[in-house]
Amino acid sequence: MNIIVLIVLFLLMLFLKSTPLEPFAELGKSSSLSLGFILVFAFLLGKKIKQLSLPRITGFILAGIFCGPYIMKFLSTRDVQNLQLLDGLALSLIALTAGGEMRISELKKYMRTLVSIVFFQTSVIIVGFTLFCFIGGSLFPFLAGKTMAQTVAFSLLLGTLATATSPSTTIAVINELKAKGKITDLVLSAAVVKDFAVIVLFAFSLSFSKGLLSPEKTFDAQFLLHILRDVGGSILIGLAVGGGIILYLRFIKEQMAVFILAVAFFTYQVSHNFGFHPLMICLLAGFIVENFSSQGEKFIQAIEKSSLPIYVIFFAISGASLNMAALQKTWFLALIIVVLRGILKYSGTYIGARLARAEQGIRKKSWAGFISQAGVALGMAVIIERTFPQWGDEFKALILAVIAINQIFGPILLQRLINRAEEAGKK
Amino acid sequence: MKILFAFGVLILVSFLGARFLFRKRASFSPISYFFFSGMIYIFFGLFLGRFGVKVLTGDVLKNLDPLVHLCLGWVGFIFGFQFEYKYIRRFPQKYVGLSFLQSLFIIVLVSVSFCILLPLLYAEQDYFMLYGMAIAMGLLLSLSSPSLINFFSRRLPSGGNYCYLARFLSGVNGFWGVLGMSLIISFWHYPFFSTGITTRGLIFLVVSVLFPVFLGYLFHFLTMGRSESGDLLVFLLGMVFFAAGAATYFHLSSLFVCMILGVTYSNLTSLQGKIYPLLISTEKPFYIVFLIFIGAMWEFTFDLKIGLIVFILVGLRIAGFLLPLRFFGRLLKFPFPVPARFGLCFFSSGGIALAFIVSFKLLYPLEMTNVFVSAAILATIAGEFLGPWGLKKSILILDEKR
Repeated sequence: MNIIVLIVLFLLMLFLKSTPLEPFAELGKSSSLSLGFILVFAFLLGKKIKQLSLPRITGFILAGIFCGPYIMKFLSTRDVQNLQLLDGLALSLIALTAGGEMRISELKKYMRTLVSIVFFQTSVIIVGFTLFCFIGGSLFPFLAGKTMAQTVAFSLLLGTLATATSPSTTIAVINELKAKGKITDLVLSAAVVKDFAVIVLFAFSLSFSKGLLSPEKTFDAQFLLHILRDVGGSILIGLAVGGGIILYLRFIKEQMAVFILAVAFFTYQVSHNFGFHPLMICLLAGFIVENFSSQGEKFIQAIEKSSLPIYVIFFAISGASLNMAALQKTWFLALIIVVLRGILKYSGTYIGARLARAEQGIRKKSWAGFISQAGVALGMAVIIERTFPQWGDEFKALILAVIAINQIFGPILLQRLINRAEEAGKK
Repeated sequence: MKILFAFGVLILVSFLGARFLFRKRASFSPISYFFFSGMIYIFFGLFLGRFGVKVLTGDVLKNLDPLVHLCLGWVGFIFGFQFEYKYIRRFPQKYVGLSFLQSLFIIVLVSVSFCILLPLLYAEQDYFMLYGMAIAMGLLLSLSSPSLINFFSRRLPSGGNYCYLARFLSGVNGFWGVLGMSLIISFWHYPFFSTGITTRGLIFLVVSVLFPVFLGYLFHFLTMGRSESGDLLVFLLGMVFFAAGAATYFHLSSLFVCMILGVTYSNLTSLQGKIYPLLISTEKPFYIVFLIFIGAMWEFTFDLKIGLIVFILVGLRIAGFLLPLRFFGRLLKFPFPVPARFGLCFFSSGGIALAFIVSFKLLYPLEMTNVFVSAAILATIAGEFLGPWGLKKSILILDEKR
């Protein structure tokens, strides 16, 4: 029955957006129609995709790509921009959930493996991409005629970007599968820790690259102080938010859904505007609630109760905002980068896990949990575009194409990993 | 940035406010009802809007418009969802008859009065527009809300005939007014006022009825299998957004279209037990956001003419609900007398009246709209103030006497 409704809704939307009805579109310019449609359509497609043993969020993302401004145009660029209002809310909810899933006792067990994997994955990818840029530099049209320093700067930034994994996608897939177990916990923790490490690394790479490209500029160590301030501030805010949630859950308990939404939204917006790390704050807040109170379960239940519609819209909109035009232009080079990234992820994870004496399953399979890419990588690409206007726009187009491919295949690989490890449905 | 800030303020206020909204109270104090029924948030919205701190300006409201339409649609859906045939048919048909006659009387009385009064007050305006406004006022005054009776339910005698009848009438009366509104909006479709009124009007009327009926069936098919509450919330939000969005697209009323969606779905589904808790848990925050939006959209204007209109509106409301009751009661052969005093319990028109006003504000960006909105909001607030007093003087006395 659902498939019939899906088709009927699609035809209905096609009819509403058809040319004879265009005069009405001028009258009632509102995102409500598109929002309602994408919510139901993406959710139904997610359900159908799930029947094919693929993660639901792949369905949400595909629905967004299909209905977005590059293919069916049911969602205009303006609609996508309007609906991105929910991004912060969704990311905070995702991070709160992730924090609420982490237990100190379990983290202790694989801390060594976690640190080793994050370190070696990051190092191998950066070294690998630097070598690739020197050997296969001719593949990048915008590197032609560039000096050695410029090539190093470019490869450093590309490598840092390639290291990034999307913790939001990872958490969403894990939540959807109700997964719990060694590999799941490791992938989740590594994705979150790496997200933070990548932000620090990116600040470093950007500053270093600026110095390489403009030798008259001396190396600016000021950013290290900024990072320290941001990290320290984020930890303090995270502790405060977590404490506040515990007090609320213990003494007030009412209107839980709206309370969680208010906390998530405000934490994201306020911290974002003051330069702190919203994901880190929410993650820590969730972690505090789970590990230092008896309210953890209640807290996770409250989030799960109200967050599904926000997740559906968030992933559908992230699909709709993937630049298909960029993918069409640079697909071949993007594909090479995606494959190389996959190989380097495998190598880095294998070396890290082996040196930490992790078991075979983790060594050989866990790389598949680190493929997806979204918000952080996209944000970095935008910063690079603004910082290096000479080649930044071409670089951004290439990165958008890479993200598009990784975001489609990343969740699928992660689900396969969890299913093979027999950790789905264990929560 | 401003939009994000405004959105954040809305979430925060709805969270804080929902904790106090409609907390049952024992005393019939109009001041306490004014606060607890949420009317205060209209003034908070006014404060956040162009007359105050300018957080919810026109541009911000435009960007948050899906939220405005969702609120309108949500009010409509909740209102329509109660019209389940199985539930309605438990009441004697006489009750439905009384509701219809009472509403019709008020619509005619108020519309005719304002068709005479408005051209005298605003002689320079187009009469066609003034007559439309007069009918809109008639429809608005015919609406009533059961929130007041629910709010003071602890003080009312349980099992009383008058309380039972009042609950039914205040819940159902709104239907006729909203139906009338859809007729106006279809046949007086902005901006095509004067061309092809009948044909175009019929097409729009059919669209505004058949489209949500169709969506109601789709919604039913989607939820026929085993649905978890998370899935239901996604479908519910999606369908209300879609219906409200389609209504906006055709320049029709989101309130009416979503009401029909609610009626259709409630008569098809057997999931009332799952849907009601969802609606109840989201009702208060949505309502507060909606009230704030109303305040922010309100281009507050007040002069002697508006003051006079408000005064007459309140007077006509009292007259309209009181005068014909005894006669209608006899005409429909009610098993117990329906004295004029009983009409005092219908002063409150709550959320449905405010949704009605917002619908007109959104659909008719005309010169006289601001006059209508100002007068209508002030009259609605006056009705909320008079509500507790009216309830005390009607049901409480009548049921205790019996």
